[in-house]
Amino acid sequence: MNSVAVARYRPADNPFASHRVEGLAYRSKGIHAAALRLRLEETGPRSAIVGPKGSGKTTLLGELASTLPGEPVLVRIEGGCRHPWRTARTQLPRPVTPNHLVLVDGAEQLGPLEWRLLLRATRHARILLATLHRPGLLPTLIECRPDLELLRELVDELTPVDAPTLIPDLEELFRRHGGNIRSCLRELYDVYAGRASVEL
Amino acid sequence: MMLTLYTTDGGSWFKPGGLIEGRASWHLDEDVDAVEVRLFWHTTGKGTQDVGIVRALRTDSPDSSGHRDFSIRVPEGPYSFSGKLITLAWAIELVALPSGETERLDLRIGPQPVEVDLT
Repeated sequence: MNSVAVARYRPADNPFASHRVEGLAYRSKGIHAAALRLRLEETGPRSAIVGPKGSGKTTLLGELASTLPGEPVLVRIEGGCRHPWRTARTQLPRPVTPNHLVLVDGAEQLGPLEWRLLLRATRHARILLATLHRPGLLPTLIECRPDLELLRELVDELTPVDAPTLIPDLEELFRRHGGNIRSCLRELYDVYAGRASVEL
Repeated sequence: MMLTLYTTDGGSWFKPGGLIEGRASWHLDEDVDAVEVRLFWHTTGKGTQDVGIVRALRTDSPDSSGHRDFSIRVPEGPYSFSGKLITLAWAIELVALPSGETERLDLRIGPQPVEVDLT
């Protein structure tokens, strides 16, 4: 196996810099945020976006914040958070009213009791949407299923046409990161930053 | 809406402690609450972005066409730099509020006319 040294991109110019990755629109085989608004009428005002890490749940949640009715309240619970309910509670308005659209990113961090506390605290919200790794706690609005085709599409969109070809084998990358697209894109940042070499 | 922004000498490199002098002009086709000239730094790269507004000059209820001359003292730091994980860049911008429409002028702040390379 050979490797090649790569050109170094400034962080600001890196095609996989976070501001560029976060600017990508959510897409999932023809399902867009606008269509989910209609689907929400079937699943009800308390629904879940389900999917594994790095599958686009956060991106979708952010887009729904601007397309769904109500005053958006984004509650973010990071992975490994030691006090997830305390973290969530401090981000919730008091009281939560029927005008609020509550979007909880990382709700899988909550334990069973904390989950009930969240439901209780948001019972008057117009809509509650939560991201979860597994279905079951709320009706599933959509299940995000990342695939290699999606990774290729995102990489194509992010890579400038005049950029040198530094992209490694995407199939191997996707497999190595267990289908976590965000993690794949972070590794590609390193490639373009010259912090990793491309195996040929 | 047309927003324009330039420094008096056309330069984009300023030393810490120096003065950034210039003019912000606007032609507005709708009512705005205010226009604001901001000097700020921001980071981009891998991970969370950060931003710090150093100075903001607000003009409330501006006329539909107008300008504002500005003179802003450059702070001692941080310098413009690029490492492996982030670039810290400076800019001055003219923002119409509340729409957020913006005109931006990228700057370099530091003792040398190029950003500090930390790699």
